[in-house]
Amino acid sequence: MPRQTIELSSRTGRKDIGTLIVASVFICLGLITLYDVTTYSDTDSVVFPTFVAYALIFCSVLVIIASWLRPSQSNGFGSGDWWRRLLLVATMLVACLIMPVSGFLPATAIAFAGGLFAARHEGWDTRSAVVFAASGIAIMAGFYALFRFALGVPLP
Amino acid sequence: MDFEHLANALTLTNLALALFGVVAGTVIGSIPGLSATMAVAVLVPITFAMTPASALILLGAIYTGAIYGGAYSAILLNTPGTPSAIGTTFDGYPMAKRGDGDLAVAIACYASVFGGMIGALALLLLAPPLSSVALAFGPVEYLWLSIFGLSLIASLSTGNVLKGLAGGAFGLLLSCVGVAEISADIRLTFGSPTMIGGIEVVGALIGLYCIPVLIDLVATPERHLKVDKGGRAVRFREGAIIAWRSRFNLLRSSIIGTLIGILPGAGGSVAGLVAYSEAKRTARPDQKFGEGEPDGIMATEAANNATVGGGFIPTLVLGIPGTPPDAVILGALLVQGVRTGPTLFEGGGSIVYTFIFGLFIATILMLPTGLLIGRYAYKTIVTIPKTILVPSVGFMTIIGTFAIRNSISDVIIMIVLGTVGWVLSRFGFAASPIVLGLILGPIAEQGFVQAWIIGEATGNLAGMFFGRPISLAIIAFTILSLLYPVIQGRRARKLLDMQAGSNAKTDD
Repeated sequence: MPRQTIELSSRTGRKDIGTLIVASVFICLGLITLYDVTTYSDTDSVVFPTFVAYALIFCSVLVIIASWLRPSQSNGFGSGDWWRRLLLVATMLVACLIMPVSGFLPATAIAFAGGLFAARHEGWDTRSAVVFAASGIAIMAGFYALFRFALGVPLP
Repeated sequence: MDFEHLANALTLTNLALALFGVVAGTVIGSIPGLSATMAVAVLVPITFAMTPASALILLGAIYTGAIYGGAYSAILLNTPGTPSAIGTTFDGYPMAKRGDGDLAVAIACYASVFGGMIGALALLLLAPPLSSVALAFGPVEYLWLSIFGLSLIASLSTGNVLKGLAGGAFGLLLSCVGVAEISADIRLTFGSPTMIGGIEVVGALIGLYCIPVLIDLVATPERHLKVDKGGRAVRFREGAIIAWRSRFNLLRSSIIGTLIGILPGAGGSVAGLVAYSEAKRTARPDQKFGEGEPDGIMATEAANNATVGGGFIPTLVLGIPGTPPDAVILGALLVQGVRTGPTLFEGGGSIVYTFIFGLFIATILMLPTGLLIGRYAYKTIVTIPKTILVPSVGFMTIIGTFAIRNSISDVIIMIVLGTVGWVLSRFGFAASPIVLGLILGPIAEQGFVQAWIIGEATGNLAGMFFGRPISLAIIAFTILSLLYPVIQGRRARKLLDMQAGSNAKTDD
């Protein structure tokens, strides 16, 4: 079998599902926008989002066609621990959600601890736990003082 | 203008103020979320007790330092410290990852100083005539300027232009979220109070650039930056040689920065991206922009620092602030009792010229202080363990984003947008077109709606959009910028074909 045919069959064999999903989500966003603009009272605020929604839908359709015809095999989430990624993002979000109730420092301490656990690949012992916890407290206290007292940011 | 003004600027107090301003601005600018506007705004109260010239020198120095400071986190953390440093991440972070972060920091400093000097020179020599450029820009010119900016997506999209265009449209859509500026309609919030304030650009920048890096950093045990075993110092000399070789790029980018700085509302982010795009467009075939090309850093940094001087032109001559920090400085000037306008250069000339010389001094001082601070910033980031770096940067993104508008909603949007940006980047949708859409969206919308209203009122809609000379010039540039990569690609293919043909003949 000629080499070109083998390359073509391997390319068309596996679709770039991620790209197709992202582009489809973009199309949905465009359609939602076209629905949303019907609720605006002033035509001045309708024109631009409408134009942008059509542009987004048009470009996304082109992306789907291009990706279908020539899927990229290099796309994907790659290797790495998913629980670490999720822990990092989840603790940051949790910190934001509880911040109005708990205050800034306790909330961000959760995000900081989540980040510490997510980033530590070498394992934990008492010494490293103490060192990193102390460093964390010092860094958070330093930045809190800078923003709260020197820059006058009203941190919750 | 004479040497008396230079002597006034060179007093010990003014020199100390310039030095303090540069150092404070650089440090504040290097923290993600703290923009140049914030650096100037926070330190404005200090200036109220000073003489107007000293106050201006301090504020100018803070502004200059903050714009440069944004480069550190852009290079070492892939997080633009200020929006002006977006373009610096494209090549700065790849350079840092491959072990050339020290060189990138040095190059950024040289380029910033060069750009700052050109901007200040324009302010000194050309302020009154150049300010008329700002007055010639109406809504439709801003519309076309933003469309020209959007045409840069073609060159900022690494690998896939279609995905870049889709990303740009997504960014434009994001810019519509919240209360519409012109009519106050609430758009695309779907009843969520979190979204009602819209998407704050700096928070979005932090999310789109920094969160994906953090997500990638925690996933694997690999080091965050490559470390040189020799423990070399920051490569000042090597950086200077590279900067000298690219002096044309530096000059072009500085001129672009000065001119865009003059236009109210455009700012350092647009200037940096336009200069980056121009540098990429005119690159040699061996230069790989986006993969750690020093010319990319130089273009952005020279342009964004040139906007400092450029932005002061309409601020001082017309009383129209060229950039957001200029607006804060304008307010501080009014508190001081200084009335800006054409007469300032005549009646209050001594203050203005002392300030301009002060700006030169601050820019020159940025060279040693910038290199020195850059050296320590680089060494700190390189040697700090990833275990503590990730949560510290995560904490800084939260506190920095919160500080912009004192809003937890902005922080939530930053994290969600960053996670979405990470997913998108995994499938070839780069962050830069999204950011470009987000920045240019409001400028384009406002320009379009205002031009439409004026066109309808005057009964000459077509003339409004296509009949003004500056608009036509920008349209021509836009078409040229879109077609140039195609022409260049064809030329390169022809060259390759010719080379292949001559090689085949030689083989025969």
